[in-house]
Amino acid sequence: MSRVGDSLNWRGADVAGCAPFSDIEPSARVIGVPFTLWLPDGAQLQIAHDDMPADWFARSHRIERTVDRLERMRSIAIVSIVVVVLATIGLFEYVLPWTADRIASHMPHRAEVVMGRESLSVLRGRILLTSQLPADRRAHLQQIFDRFAHGVSGLPPVAIAFYNAPAIGANAFALPDGTVVFTDDLIKALPDDRSFLAVAAHELGHQAHHHMMREVLRSSGVVVIAGMLAGDVTSVGSLASAIPVFLLNSHYSRAFEADADNFAFQALAQQSIDPMAFVDAMRALEQAHHVSADSQADRYLSSHPLDSERIARAEAASRDFRRTQSERANTLARQ
Amino acid sequence: MHDETMGSGIYLPEISDTIIGRSADVHEFEFRGNARDYFRIWIVNVALSIVTLGIYSAWASVRTRRYMYANTLFEGSPFEYLARPIPILRGRLIAAMLFATYVIAGHFSRPLQLATMGVVGVFMPWMVVKGLMFRARYSAWRGLHFRFIADYAGAYQWYLLVYLLMAIPLGLFGLLKSVGHPLAGALLLFAGMFAFYPWVKGNQQQWMAEHHYFGGKSFRFTTEIGAYYRIYGAAFGIALLCMIPTGILMGIFFNGLVKGHIDPKTHPILIVLVSYLCLAPLYITIWTYTHVRMTNALYNQASLARYQMQSSLEFGPMLRIYMGNALAIIFTLGLAIPWAKIQVVRYRASCLRVIGEGNLEEFTQRASDNDVSATGTEIDSLLGFDIGL
Repeated sequence: MSRVGDSLNWRGADVAGCAPFSDIEPSARVIGVPFTLWLPDGAQLQIAHDDMPADWFARSHRIERTVDRLERMRSIAIVSIVVVVLATIGLFEYVLPWTADRIASHMPHRAEVVMGRESLSVLRGRILLTSQLPADRRAHLQQIFDRFAHGVSGLPPVAIAFYNAPAIGANAFALPDGTVVFTDDLIKALPDDRSFLAVAAHELGHQAHHHMMREVLRSSGVVVIAGMLAGDVTSVGSLASAIPVFLLNSHYSRAFEADADNFAFQALAQQSIDPMAFVDAMRALEQAHHVSADSQADRYLSSHPLDSERIARAEAASRDFRRTQSERANTLARQ
Repeated sequence: MHDETMGSGIYLPEISDTIIGRSADVHEFEFRGNARDYFRIWIVNVALSIVTLGIYSAWASVRTRRYMYANTLFEGSPFEYLARPIPILRGRLIAAMLFATYVIAGHFSRPLQLATMGVVGVFMPWMVVKGLMFRARYSAWRGLHFRFIADYAGAYQWYLLVYLLMAIPLGLFGLLKSVGHPLAGALLLFAGMFAFYPWVKGNQQQWMAEHHYFGGKSFRFTTEIGAYYRIYGAAFGIALLCMIPTGILMGIFFNGLVKGHIDPKTHPILIVLVSYLCLAPLYITIWTYTHVRMTNALYNQASLARYQMQSSLEFGPMLRIYMGNALAIIFTLGLAIPWAKIQVVRYRASCLRVIGEGNLEEFTQRASDNDVSATGTEIDSLLGFDIGL
């Protein structure tokens, strides 16, 4: 086979011919695959890869030529492994959360309201039953909740709701539309108003930072990207990709829980409540969960960072709080 | 939709030329790919796919297929995969958008999510036909393309209407449950599913095989529906048998957790991992069994002109390969995926052959009269054969 000006000549055992380069359609390069040249008459020529001068057909398949050059370099395999690891970490630790959070911040509040109503309508009547708490108890809690929330800056409109939910035990959670749900069991388990406010402050942290919307967008992003990549990356299908998706989502929600805790410590301190109330709430909850060992769907504990860690951080926040309190008292006394 | 992860490719056949006593009437497949070359292609593909947020995956799948097809030889000639990446990218983006809508809609409103599902369901048979046509058109052997004849009526019958039929036992189950006979309802549901499902699968295989053409001839398919009932019946039996060791395994693990004073509530990830560890062998075993038997059923009932296809995959060796692959992939954190794929392809190739008098010259000769007709049958779904809904 040879090149004469702008045409290609070939000669084999029983075939020979020539054709202009512009009429020949070459295949893209792939390791271990011979070149195929499709000739104008529908016939094809196959050529071993190394026999094909690189400058022939230099203008076709540009992307794949570059990729092919990478694939042939031995060092690139190692570089690729590093790139895969770094890019995966970068994608799921920074790019995806960042993008999801940007989208969440541009979502109209109406979307959150719709989302909250949707989840409530699914739960109400099945998991969430009418509260059995005495009306005056509810009114009292409602009042201190409203006063507390009023003093916290940067909150979207919030509301409190009480439900009897034996299926989930002592629990509290925030819905995207601003509703904070407390279960009767939780109210019964908490020792005093301050610990009630500590739990409320944690849930208000979720509301202030729009964690529910962000979590929804992040986990949707994870599922979609995992699906896109799984087309080529995994071969066991759903089973293999389900584990990383689960791990990633719990990684995100743990970060949100820690964030809500910090928010709670600050909000409590601002309203002159010792963050120690948070520790009391945690202890009381732990007790309640040990008593009712049957509560399996335990969102409150399962997606939260380890209790001992949280308690340690609450205690640290409490020490800070007391130090500033006593400093303030000292300055007041000096004046 | 084509499930690329399950069928994983093209998996044609191989057998070494040195086999002695080979009958002249048996035409073998050979797979020449090796894990070393494929690893290089794969790792670059994965890196570029992640860096480009999945955009490059269209190029990646084209290059992977081209490698797999070109290294699969039948009668000494390689198969060819000729598709361009851009149309594949377009399809993937549409699929990703639909999927994203479905996932996000679930958080906002049930009706919207159901509507998305409905739209996808209604278009699914159409997509199945388009997908088969596309793959067939761009698959070739000795310059001759495969071809898939569009049959939308058949597609709607076997990929949509039959599933509506399967909703009947589901409806009855709901009815019986509401009047207070949940157990009878569940039994009826199970019986109904078992009555329908093998029949549906068998007819889907027949429909797909018979609309594939090669060299101007359509594939023939002799359907023996009873075979499908045997396959799924045996799969169910295997599932029941496997549940005993799985149950014991889980019991041991969770007992160990309790004895080790590990509170399951504070270690949810550990629990999920342990459950997966116990369930994965069960899943792989049942999947492998149905996969092996369904693949054999497809080929052993398919013929083209005077040539009969034959697939002799066996459950034991295949299970060893899949289990070995799963372990290798876990212990290399995924780096063994290319090697694992090659193992599967090689074994599948070695079990596939075509039997019939003649030397297949008729197909090559037709090719020259026919010029380049952009039609074909799709090697991948015909041989890899897994259209999942």
